[in-house]
Amino acid sequence: MFRTEEMDINMGPQHPSTHGVLRLKLTLEGEEVVDVRPVIGYLHRGVEKLSEHRTYPMIEPLTDRLDYVAAISENLGYCGAVEKLMGLHVPPRAQYIRVVLAELQRIASHLLWLGTHALDLGAMTVFFYTFREREMILDLFEAFCGARLTYNSMRIGGLYEDVPQGWTDRVRHFIGIFPSREKEYEDLLTVNRIWLGRTRGVGVLKPEDAVGLGVSGPTLRASGVDYDVRRAQPYSSYDQFEFDVPVGKNGDTYDRYIVRMEEMRQSCRIIRQALDRLPEGDVRAKVPKYIKPPAGEVYHVVESPRGEQGFYIVHKSGEMPYRMRFRAPSFVNLQALPVMCRGRLIADIVAVIGSIDIVLGDVDR
Amino acid sequence: MTARPAAGFRDFLKMLLLLELWVGLWVTLKNQFRPHITVEYPRERVELSPRFRGVPRLRFHPENGEELCIACHLCETVCPDDCIHIVSEKKPDGKGKRLVSFEINYERCCFCGLCVDPCPTKPLTAIYMSHDYEMADFKREGFVAPLKVLLNGVDPKDYKE
Repeated sequence: MFRTEEMDINMGPQHPSTHGVLRLKLTLEGEEVVDVRPVIGYLHRGVEKLSEHRTYPMIEPLTDRLDYVAAISENLGYCGAVEKLMGLHVPPRAQYIRVVLAELQRIASHLLWLGTHALDLGAMTVFFYTFREREMILDLFEAFCGARLTYNSMRIGGLYEDVPQGWTDRVRHFIGIFPSREKEYEDLLTVNRIWLGRTRGVGVLKPEDAVGLGVSGPTLRASGVDYDVRRAQPYSSYDQFEFDVPVGKNGDTYDRYIVRMEEMRQSCRIIRQALDRLPEGDVRAKVPKYIKPPAGEVYHVVESPRGEQGFYIVHKSGEMPYRMRFRAPSFVNLQALPVMCRGRLIADIVAVIGSIDIVLGDVDR
Repeated sequence: MTARPAAGFRDFLKMLLLLELWVGLWVTLKNQFRPHITVEYPRERVELSPRFRGVPRLRFHPENGEELCIACHLCETVCPDDCIHIVSEKKPDGKGKRLVSFEINYERCCFCGLCVDPCPTKPLTAIYMSHDYEMADFKREGFVAPLKVLLNGVDPKDYKE
């Protein structure tokens, strides 16, 4: 007789499809997944503790390194939190440029996600095309702030510099050609039978589970919960733009793909509106040379490409925060992984990890 | 939102004819004729934008060729990585300070550009983010750049060692 029993195996921390140093302890019954336990902390750098010994402008380069594929969203959230604490009013031109940057970053981040997710599921071509378009966005960022990954693009109270000459035209050129390129990715994937077979009905997350686990971002919206921080708690004048929040129906991997594809289109729409109505004026508010906010605490959330990115600052005295806390969307979304994977096959885990779009720098902080 | 593929006779026919496969192959065929975007790095280089943040360096006055730095220690104070180390002394005539040594430890530097922000010299800042980005070395000491290197840059190295 054959002996059958449950088997424990490790997936990661060095595994090509875990997108970083994520270790999963799998309990398998043959090919079927009985349980998944994520083990995290391999990329822990103690950013929250490091922040307590730095002045406020010095913390911004640290926020670049939380979610390193969407650093501008982190910059925006962090600067927003400090500005809220200090009661600063950011000039409208800076707010609009920040929106343009954040939405370009959302497109760049989703492109990276789409390329690697498709690569995990065996569609290699999309990877090359998405990285070609992502490169165009990185060139725009390089022209704006000089860096291509860890931007440090904003300053408390606005921006370091105004956009360079001709930059808005380059952005317009990009959002002009991008929808046709996105159509190409859709031609390659949306109706492709291998893609459908790998994604439809895989990793279903019910709306009540999603809300109960605190999941946010496209992963939450794909489950049918209509919640977007940009609309629920508008920041950086997002209330002045018109955009739709795409919502999925089934909460499976395919829906998360569809929601992100639609988000990229909506980002183009927001960028176009922001460039059309870009106000004139300063890009930096009057900020004292030494930033000493009043004592108090503040919580500020932004919608990063992964979900609800929160910054909680407790300030007591001096130039440094007393306590800093980052609410990382990837960290919270990761705990939905066992719920999505239980009872599925081991190959589906790869699809599900890809679809929740975690960044391990954000998970471990 | 894009409609989900529904099950019906027409969809069955589409499936039978492998329609989605031909659509995908048409996309890849179109892309065959687009210009190449790969840059063959050591032989050709990408064009950097004027604001590119490379290795931080110091600069001379463009006209009289003197050091611009007034040894105010602001960049040292604001540096988040503590990679700048400045030693200064009083000028002989008693007015202001001048540099004795200025070191940047490139092992620690994160190229954030915060040191350029508070630099008080006008109109050009004394410290600036240069366009150099190739900084490999064989020894760790090579990453601590003294004043001479910061002002004049490094000579192109022979990598045959």
